[in-house]
Amino acid sequence: MKRIRIAAGSAWSRDRFEPGADLIARGDIDYLCFDAMSEVTQSIAQVARLNDPRIPPYDPLLRKRIAPILKAAKERGVRIITNGGWMDPAAAAEEIIRIAEELGVTDLKVASVSGSDITDRVRDLGLNFVESDKPVADLRDKIISAEVYLGAEGIIQALAQGADIIVTSRVGDACPYMAAMAHEFGWSIDDHHNIAKGMIIGHLLECGAQVTGGCFADPGYKDVPDIANLSNPIVEVTEDRVVISKLPGTGGVVSEATCKEQLLYEVQDPARYYCPDVIADMTKVRFRQIAENEVEVLIDDAGLPKSPTYKALVGIMEGYMAEEMVLFAGPGAMNRAELTKRLLEERFARHSSQPTEVRMDFIGINSVHRESTPHVVDDPYEVVLRVAIKADTKEVVDTLGTEVDPLAVNGVAGIGKWGTFSPGARTRAIVGLNSVLVPREVVPFEVRYLECAGG
Amino acid sequence: MALKTVLLREIAHSRSGEKGRDSNVSVIAYEMDDYPLLREQVTVDAVKSMFGAITKGSITRYEAPNVGALNFVLCDVLEGGRTRTLAFDESGKALSSLMLGLPVSVGDDFVGRGERISKAMGGAK
Repeated sequence: MKRIRIAAGSAWSRDRFEPGADLIARGDIDYLCFDAMSEVTQSIAQVARLNDPRIPPYDPLLRKRIAPILKAAKERGVRIITNGGWMDPAAAAEEIIRIAEELGVTDLKVASVSGSDITDRVRDLGLNFVESDKPVADLRDKIISAEVYLGAEGIIQALAQGADIIVTSRVGDACPYMAAMAHEFGWSIDDHHNIAKGMIIGHLLECGAQVTGGCFADPGYKDVPDIANLSNPIVEVTEDRVVISKLPGTGGVVSEATCKEQLLYEVQDPARYYCPDVIADMTKVRFRQIAENEVEVLIDDAGLPKSPTYKALVGIMEGYMAEEMVLFAGPGAMNRAELTKRLLEERFARHSSQPTEVRMDFIGINSVHRESTPHVVDDPYEVVLRVAIKADTKEVVDTLGTEVDPLAVNGVAGIGKWGTFSPGARTRAIVGLNSVLVPREVVPFEVRYLECAGG
Repeated sequence: MALKTVLLREIAHSRSGEKGRDSNVSVIAYEMDDYPLLREQVTVDAVKSMFGAITKGSITRYEAPNVGALNFVLCDVLEGGRTRTLAFDESGKALSSLMLGLPVSVGDDFVGRGERISKAMGGAK
């Protein structure tokens, strides 16, 4: 019976590097998938490239991820799928070929799957934003990026053509995993139940260590052994069985509880989880611990036909924000922090141009759960006043520093300052993200191949 | 039977994630037998009592009995979403721990998660 093993190399662009090499060396795996994005990755990269066009249009960490494992992956026949192509997967494929040539890796086929980037079209498609129902065209001049979450078809095509490495632009996060299964088991993209099964398995793996003990430890309630040495997950799939596990000798835990948390992670209606190629019903999934750190995933018919649209993220330039922190401790710390808050409010009010939003929190008191913090400690030993502001122009946001820096000499007693190295260093541009639903027919994808014959 | 009040964390675990301006917060029973208790007590109103002050939009509850879990979607809770929020916890990943502080009513003989783990570890604390 056919048996494939797929592992998660990384869960987002700045995830750890160590698990990938270990999985290739010891995981007996057929596929290794690297998620190299988060929601904001591409829009932030677009802004960075406006300021410095020399920044590559793909994941700048691509080389650091791929170079250490490329040779071993090729030797062991492990195929790699990554969305690290960002705005230009074809350029990323060229970079991978360069890395291969430098390492003397021969007979390598690299595929790029492009088409997700619709920045050039999004203003003129007559669409409204999902969140506000206002026309996209109204923000025409503020739009900096727009990318569709593509499905798995391009990846499946590339696998059928024998690509060793596939680098894509934005695709549904679970698509690389599902594509590997669809290719190996010959699932048609319209085979809802199998495609949904593949997406559910992919969803469980796409956040890497979040199913092997990451985001899980709560001492005395949910203990995770050796959390410093978490492994990323491996899924073994046969025609009739799906088992999630991790590398032996690593830290972490794979349990029904870790799987359940990850199943519902970033899900809205579990019965209708929208994916590019299918709608998956997560209420058809059960878990069964079959051995230590091995969980069987049981999935009944869970597929519904895909929706007529793709989801896309639109990045919008929305001004600037900055934050500062002022530190207090010892007797009367809270009183001094509150006095500082009041004096800052008074000084800010004198400026002719006002920020659009101001938030002041007391760290240690109410900064994390904000206005929903259940109770306030009256006399903490230490407290940090955090001030964050937002405005349309950089000049207005810089007034934050203008008022906070002088507190060093004209604030309250015993005032500590978060180090400020240069004026305005904590001001950053805001790229807001809105979503739109895009008709599928306006987003064709393209698969291209590069080969490094060598030898 | 006499009742006592414990925090939700004695019965369930939770993970929160970001969906644009919204967050989802799951509530998962440690023991499948406790799922009916979650359905009965972890209502939209109960969650509103915890999250209402920061949730500008609606709160919706979904049920996933297959895994003994509820899933709450808090609309417009992130002050605009991760890239534009002034909130210190920009992605709302810490919201799960607010949920776990919800008081729930259990039978007098109920043994909570913390005590069970402590006993399993040999009782020393």
